Amino acid sequence: MSDSAEKSSSRDDVPFRNPGWAGNTGEFDLTESQVRGDDYVGVRPLDGGHPGGASTYPYMLKDRDPDAPLFEGPFKERLEKIRSRYPTAQAALLPALNMAQELRGHVSQESMKEVAAILGLADAYVRGVATFYTMYNKRPVGRFLIQVCTNISCNLCGGDEVLAAFLEHAGTELGETSDDGLFTVMEVECLAACGTPTAVQINSRYFENISPDDVPAVLDRLRQEVA
Amino acid sequence: MAYPYTHEKEVRVLSRGWGDPTTRTLEGWKALGGYEALAKALKMERTQVIEEVKSSGLRGRGGAGFPTGVKWSFMPKEKKGPHYLCCNADESEPGTFKDRELLRWTPHQVIEGCLIGAYAIQADHVYIYCRGEFFETTQILARAVEEAYEAGYIGKDILGSGHSIDVTVFAGAGAYICGEETALMNSLEGRRGLPRIKPPFPAAVGAFGQPTTINNVETLCAVPHIITNGGEWYRQWGTEKSSGTKLFCVSGHVRRPGNYELPLGFPMDELIYDVCGGFQDGRSLKAVIPGGSSVPILSAQECESCTLDYEGVVEAGSMLGCASVIIMDDTTNIVKQVRRMVDFYAHESCGQCTPCREGTQWLSRILVRIENGRGTEEDLDTLLELGEQMTGTTICVLSDSAAAPVASSIEKFRDDYLALIRRGEKVGAA
Repeated sequence: MSDSAEKSSSRDDVPFRNPGWAGNTGEFDLTESQVRGDDYVGVRPLDGGHPGGASTYPYMLKDRDPDAPLFEGPFKERLEKIRSRYPTAQAALLPALNMAQELRGHVSQESMKEVAAILGLADAYVRGVATFYTMYNKRPVGRFLIQVCTNISCNLCGGDEVLAAFLEHAGTELGETSDDGLFTVMEVECLAACGTPTAVQINSRYFENISPDDVPAVLDRLRQEVA
Repeated sequence: MAYPYTHEKEVRVLSRGWGDPTTRTLEGWKALGGYEALAKALKMERTQVIEEVKSSGLRGRGGAGFPTGVKWSFMPKEKKGPHYLCCNADESEPGTFKDRELLRWTPHQVIEGCLIGAYAIQADHVYIYCRGEFFETTQILARAVEEAYEAGYIGKDILGSGHSIDVTVFAGAGAYICGEETALMNSLEGRRGLPRIKPPFPAAVGAFGQPTTINNVETLCAVPHIITNGGEWYRQWGTEKSSGTKLFCVSGHVRRPGNYELPLGFPMDELIYDVCGGFQDGRSLKAVIPGGSSVPILSAQECESCTLDYEGVVEAGSMLGCASVIIMDDTTNIVKQVRRMVDFYAHESCGQCTPCREGTQWLSRILVRIENGRGTEEDLDTLLELGEQMTGTTICVLSDSAAAPVASSIEKFRDDYLALIRRGEKVGAA
């Protein structure tokens, strides 16, 4: 499908190529929401819905707040559901840290302490685990965390140039946040979308088949989402 | 056709339904015969289920290629406490992108495979360990789990069989090493993802200290089809030792990269030039990494007669791994790409074992030096020596994986290294 035809599609006035999986050469007759599964998933309840899926989470909430209370109201319920699925309290640690990041946008040392307290774990232990995993932001990030894959498959097809384009057009440096607070740009290791290079993860969403030329349009779309 | 990556030579068993959004719903999956295999399996003896999978010759699709039925038979027959099944969906080997497709297009296929596997090994609980980056995918999977619970396919007394199995989706937090089965279990238990020393093997002491089996997503997805159609049916594809179909994740410099489901034993040149459409005009094959970044690089010559099955790729000098075929044309800067892979391993090393923690960093620094034209020929010897010291000396194989592309690329593309070392002076074909 040509760029012009895509731009004319109804709901997704998508100025970027193939939201997802379709490849440069393929036919493309699905909407973005069909590819992403939005209709099927619906709106996930804050309490996590069924306990079997309660530890999956929609990344950072739109109106996340670094001072938001953790594990209150529906989030308390969600944590209880998660805990019911494992024989130990410790097993809820990653899901609990994920929830902290979802609410607050990053996992501060204060958040780590709160998680430790509610699960009955030592502060130092929780810190040891939280710092092991790269997805926990140890400090605040922009409204959109843009992670560009530069690993081999994307790199062969120009991942480095895509990263450079994001840095240029977002007006920031690697790992830093733009002055308007919107964009933090980072490199990321393989996102498992190697057939559609370059793969970029922006908060929870994948953007695939991104070339340097697509970058301004992707950023514009994000700006419009918060306008 | 909604899913563009198709080719007439494909045999679409697992990938049937990809690109059709109705397939991910319970109704859509049932319309394709979904959950009939589960009903059939629950009426069979557990040992029969295992025998059927053994007879199919199905081998683990996560990289090691261990026979699945045999793995299941290692689980204790006498149950003394809970058993667990972990579905390894921590897909993060560079070059691999099949599990994400299976999960988001056919989540019920994954769930059905998990349930049959759990039944076979008497597991009470299935944990589907998804990599943390799969936000969109885990949302779909969670919805599917919810649907399957509501319909009585998961939970207490499944389909009136008297058997109860729970399924929980777990989201990781960004650590490649958690794809290693014992690190996965540690992560699931709320620990750092550090691989464990084996023995004890997971079938004896696994997650939460209980007997556990870990299977890859693709492996489990093949199981319902084997139960429905029989082990012999599955053997109609592939070779004697590598039976069935396999999802080949093709990335890099070909015209049509993507996922292709092909019989094992498929010729590599046919994959590159026919299925994937070959290269852009005027370019030619330089190298292939046939099984994800952890396996040795093959030169163009070695690819010529290579067949894509577990034995065939070993014969050619590499490993099939998870069939992640990374294809590089003659414009590729091999040293840069090897350095990029080594950077990845340096970043992802868990730090437990010194040869890996230090070795990956050293490899990276030396390669950066060579890439920037400040290397010496002695550096190549140092790299090879380091690689030797990093192989077979650690708890898991991450260290070996980092060393493999370095050693094989120096062996096969020495001229590329020398060209950089001699500051761009043209050497050989590079």
